Amino acid sequence: MSAPRSAASSRAMEEPPVLLARPSDDELTRRLLRPIWVGGPVWRILFLVTGLGSATMLLFVLYTVVAGIGVWGNDIPVGWAYGITNFVWWIGIGHAGTFISAILLLLEQPWRTSINRFAEAMTLFAVMLAGMFPVLHLGRPWFAYWIFPYPATMDVWPQFRSALPWDAAAIATYFTVSFLFWYVGLIPDLATARDCAPTPAKRRLYGLFALGWRGSSTHWSHYRLAYGLLAALATPLVISVHSIVSADFATAQLPGWHSTIFPPYFVAGAIYSGFAMVITLMVPIRRIFRLHEVITTRHLDAVAKMTMATGLIVAYAYVVEYFLAWYGGDPFEHYVFYAERLAGPYAWAVWTVFAINFAVPNLLWVRRIRRSALALFFLSILINVAMWLERFFLIVTSLQRDFLPSSWGLFRPSYIDGAILTGTLFTFAFLFLLFLRFVPFVPIAEVKELRHELEVAEGRAVRG
Amino acid sequence: MDRHPLPIHPEGTDGWSRRSFLLGVAALAGCRPPREKILPYARQPPEVQPGRPLFYATSMAIEGNAIGLLVESHEGRPTKIEGNPEHPASLGATGLQHQAAILDLYDPARARLFRRAAGPAGWGAFVERFGPTAQLGAGEGLHVVLEPTASPLLASLIERIRARLPAARFHFHAPLATGAVEEGSRRAFGQVLATQRRYDRARVVLAIDADFLASGPNHVREARDFAAARRVRDAAAPMNRLYVVESELTCTGAVADHRLRARPSDVPRIFAGIAAAILGRPSGLEGRARRFAEAVATDLLRHPGAGVVVVGDRQPAAAHALAHVLDERLGNRNATVFQTAPTILEAGGPSHGLASLRDALTRGEVRTLLLLEVDPAYDAELGEAIAMVPETVCLALHETETARACGWFIPALHWLEGWGDGRSHDGTLTLQQPLIRPLYGGRSPAAVLAVLAGEADPDPHRLLRALHGIADERAWERLLRTGFVPGTAFPPLPVAVRADAAQAALASLAREAAPAAIELCLAPDRRLRDGRFGRNDWLLELPDPITRIAWENPALLSPATARRLGVESGDPLEVRAGDRVVRAPAFVVQGTADDTVVLHLGWGHHHRGEGQVGVNAWPLRAAAGQPVEVRAAPGQRIPLASAQPHIEMHGRPILLHATVDAFRADPALAVHHDEPRPSLYPDAWRPSGVQWGMAIDLGVCTGCATCVIACQAENNVPVVGKVGVRKGREMHWLRIDRYLLGESEDDVRLLPQPMLCQHCEKAPCEYVCPVNATVHSADGLNEMVYNRCIGTRFCSNNCPYKVRRFNWLEYNEPIAATQAMQKNPDVTVRARGVMEKCTYCVQRIRAAQIDARLAGRALRDGDVQTACQAACPTGAIVFGPVSDPESAVSRLHRDGRSYGVLQHQLGTEPRTRYLVHLRNPNPELEA
Repeated sequence: MSAPRSAASSRAMEEPPVLLARPSDDELTRRLLRPIWVGGPVWRILFLVTGLGSATMLLFVLYTVVAGIGVWGNDIPVGWAYGITNFVWWIGIGHAGTFISAILLLLEQPWRTSINRFAEAMTLFAVMLAGMFPVLHLGRPWFAYWIFPYPATMDVWPQFRSALPWDAAAIATYFTVSFLFWYVGLIPDLATARDCAPTPAKRRLYGLFALGWRGSSTHWSHYRLAYGLLAALATPLVISVHSIVSADFATAQLPGWHSTIFPPYFVAGAIYSGFAMVITLMVPIRRIFRLHEVITTRHLDAVAKMTMATGLIVAYAYVVEYFLAWYGGDPFEHYVFYAERLAGPYAWAVWTVFAINFAVPNLLWVRRIRRSALALFFLSILINVAMWLERFFLIVTSLQRDFLPSSWGLFRPSYIDGAILTGTLFTFAFLFLLFLRFVPFVPIAEVKELRHELEVAEGRAVRG
Repeated sequence: MDRHPLPIHPEGTDGWSRRSFLLGVAALAGCRPPREKILPYARQPPEVQPGRPLFYATSMAIEGNAIGLLVESHEGRPTKIEGNPEHPASLGATGLQHQAAILDLYDPARARLFRRAAGPAGWGAFVERFGPTAQLGAGEGLHVVLEPTASPLLASLIERIRARLPAARFHFHAPLATGAVEEGSRRAFGQVLATQRRYDRARVVLAIDADFLASGPNHVREARDFAAARRVRDAAAPMNRLYVVESELTCTGAVADHRLRARPSDVPRIFAGIAAAILGRPSGLEGRARRFAEAVATDLLRHPGAGVVVVGDRQPAAAHALAHVLDERLGNRNATVFQTAPTILEAGGPSHGLASLRDALTRGEVRTLLLLEVDPAYDAELGEAIAMVPETVCLALHETETARACGWFIPALHWLEGWGDGRSHDGTLTLQQPLIRPLYGGRSPAAVLAVLAGEADPDPHRLLRALHGIADERAWERLLRTGFVPGTAFPPLPVAVRADAAQAALASLAREAAPAAIELCLAPDRRLRDGRFGRNDWLLELPDPITRIAWENPALLSPATARRLGVESGDPLEVRAGDRVVRAPAFVVQGTADDTVVLHLGWGHHHRGEGQVGVNAWPLRAAAGQPVEVRAAPGQRIPLASAQPHIEMHGRPILLHATVDAFRADPALAVHHDEPRPSLYPDAWRPSGVQWGMAIDLGVCTGCATCVIACQAENNVPVVGKVGVRKGREMHWLRIDRYLLGESEDDVRLLPQPMLCQHCEKAPCEYVCPVNATVHSADGLNEMVYNRCIGTRFCSNNCPYKVRRFNWLEYNEPIAATQAMQKNPDVTVRARGVMEKCTYCVQRIRAAQIDARLAGRALRDGDVQTACQAACPTGAIVFGPVSDPESAVSRLHRDGRSYGVLQHQLGTEPRTRYLVHLRNPNPELEA
């Protein structure tokens, strides 16, 4: 190939390519579908381990429902702790997928192509796990549906001034749209799987889910329209969901919760943690399935940049919060920020969060770190931990020491708190492994299209 | 086999298992009126009207001091105890233990098996052995131990026993009694007299190691009187001044105007110094104590005839004698202090105390020992000696330690199940009528004594009527309705102290005790007293009014002493007195005397759910006088079940306090704490119609926590156990916060603030509930709709007062059928997973409204009393319609001292408002 000269190609000079080599359509199909046809003992062991972990979590969930929420460590004054922390953490992680898929699609970023499918799957699973907690943390979870405005015979409605019905609506909407978006995007690839299926049973199964996709140009035209519309629908949701989650806190009057900065701060934090989780998943997948050609250094770099940008917003929000706690002059808020958080019982968590969330985004200024899979993987784990701790200290420290010192308490988690949190990780892994094993996790059609577009661009360059 | 005359509960073992028994009780719950005729107080319905509680007048005696009570009964089952507003010892209020006593009635752990040795027996066997036909000779070797009593019925029975069995011996055992009070009286007056103090007439009160506001023999009445002289209604009103000298921080000391902390051995010396200063002699004190003594002396001398000097039970007889001398010298006698004949039978006599019994036991002279509602095996180390006696009889509510050492065991009646009488501290004759037929069979001490007296039909009801000679049925009914005989208070006696009393007392007190490295201060527990309430769940779970610790009795230390011993709160501590060793967790309490370790008596009972609760400190008392050693014990720090780990106010305007002079200078001193915050929203809703509100006068609240138990009894508040409290899950709707004030260790004030739902006009809990489970009522209550609550706990998170309580687990299941009988049928028993909180006793409001409507009249101020308000000895809590500008609560809300907690900061507009705590410091001590 000759030296590229077009604008697109010159960009490619500066940044690593989004697709290495130019495999044929056949080769792409074969390679990207290989994981769903070829199983093996390693898969079985992984399913066993994560499946057992998930089952254990379900047992603890069942125990919580049967025995009562008292088996957790919550108390008065700390009415919310691990449950809501886990909820916000998982829902935050669930932000990257839709962000990558929808916003980057609308912005026509070519690098989203290889990673959007599993990022969306990650979103779905994270939202599923997140959605479990608001129900599970209720005193009477069997009445959770009262939070929805359904036409009850007694004409009772939710209390709409509370942020919790907003929350329920936002999460339900987000899950629905994310699921549709993910599934619509999946249809052409399911059809490919159907067409290449090695056995009639698999052919029939994938055929069922492919919804009769034949790849006609009418199909493609409708598909484009639907996908674009869903992307347009999903885009505001990325912003709204976590804004509304933040309203659970911001509409309360607790020092440390009652803050107008929360919506953007939470959204940035969510995307930050979501991208961190994308890295956490992307790096091992790329290595295990040898997808270096499809998920290139360019992807690492782009995702790291997103992480850096959102991480810097989060760090900025910390600074603003502290400034306002001082500048606002509210003694309760001042106490929570400067005494309770910096020197209180969970100060270690606060300082860990500050250390990680100030340091990591700034480390990502360094190009070599951005392009090193190993470094990114390590940093992404740190971010995941920090973002969990951030939500934890935000929720717990404000509750622990609010207005009347006489009512101050200390939250101590129970082992069931820890078990359920760990269990969600297993369940997430289990669901994600199912996804990797049975669904084309790199969008085949889109990669083929990308290759085609790149070839056209390169051809133009050669001819020119 | 002998059978109880009541058909329902056969005694002995006839195959009644616990299960079948409980089933029986369950079936009969609610339909067990007493067999004898008892009559409702004030109202005489043709019969019980379902759904309408009746109130019966009765009384309860603690250590022989009776208090008149009204007991609420729902279709035959008593549910709630109130004070009798007409009874002089109550005036409508009660003490902590009176409120909690209802729970003991229904305690499923109560003893129910009548037994002899290891096998079952019956009442008949007992009557056969000791009754009229028994051959007891002259009663040689027969000893009876019972509580000190003022009951004319018991007195008459004892007299008859002495006539029948002249060699029988009686011993009156109250483990906390020292005899010093009576001995002091004897030294001062030459005879044993009771002292009546009228705190309402006193301007200056000096309390020497006396927690008279929360645990004295007449503390309910005395707290009311004290509050009357302390309450400041306007800038012109006078206010009394309270000086306290004590080793342990008590409820009284915590609200004192000036408090001097002193080691137990120093207290008598300091009191002698104060007395000397009053009598115009050198005080012999130094430094702070001297300044204190001189200021107190000057103040008392400046208020002749308007002072009270009260000395605690633990002080030596000489101190009590000296107090009588001072009363006379200061002109207080017959002004604020009266001497009357003692109410307690043989008070100060040789029959009081266990000394003579111990001697007899040692000499092996005791052949038969009857222990009636006493537990000397627990509190006097007599277990082994009792077990050596050939024949022992124990009458007790529970299988106590004494019961285990005894041959015979007779289940006792709860006082709500039996007939009796008594006298209140001032001598008023008070009746005790049963509210319910005995749940578990059982006998009262009167019945047992009647058998010994040779009574063929030991029926206390008949004996009582015969004794008081009321043959006329209507007169008897009238007496039962009132519950006491008005005008039977003992008259003041014209007495004078002996001339030599002052000199002897001063000389005796001035003798300095050899200073030990560390001293032991054994105090009655503020909740369990000597241990008689040591199995009461409500009292065990009630955080100590000072330490705020529930379910255990840590060893209390001052910060300096804790530092010296190298321990912190929760560290295990070993307290050794002679050869007795007690291990308890340490707990640091500001204001405790240095080099002193305080242990509360009354703990260490075995609890059916919690194992042994606390540690039994009585063995240390038995080793009194022996060298004390305290050291850190090996072991891990124990997390204490504290209901309030933080007592600093952090400069926040929560419990507002001022000196009375500041109040006089600015009678509206609280107003700027109450300015509403500017709001963008218009006041959309203006209340109309009857509106409810509460005012709490912090100036007279002593923090005794009676209201907490009253609320628990009224509102079916569950108990969560030690682990629950440790986790911060106690369920009290009303709690008594304590905040530490004062500049130094020597100037500690730990002020109480009752904290309950503030019923905010702009309630932060309401707008965050997603399902409308907490809403505002038209009359201004913040209501909880349990049925609608799904348990998000958002309301609690957003409540700045953190008064909401959550049912983390199913706290009401499983429940014994008897325990279910205590539940107030007018209040929902909450299930797991829902939020709950103070309702302003909405059930009482609605009942009063219905009554008013049926009577065709408007609701009047005073028609509704909340449970906390009714029980409060000082009348600190006032509830009523704030919509009526003339109501008591409206007047208090308009007071210049009235403020809403955090109103200025958060704009919640609470309906519960507080009156600034006022202190009346002596300027001479302030400099």
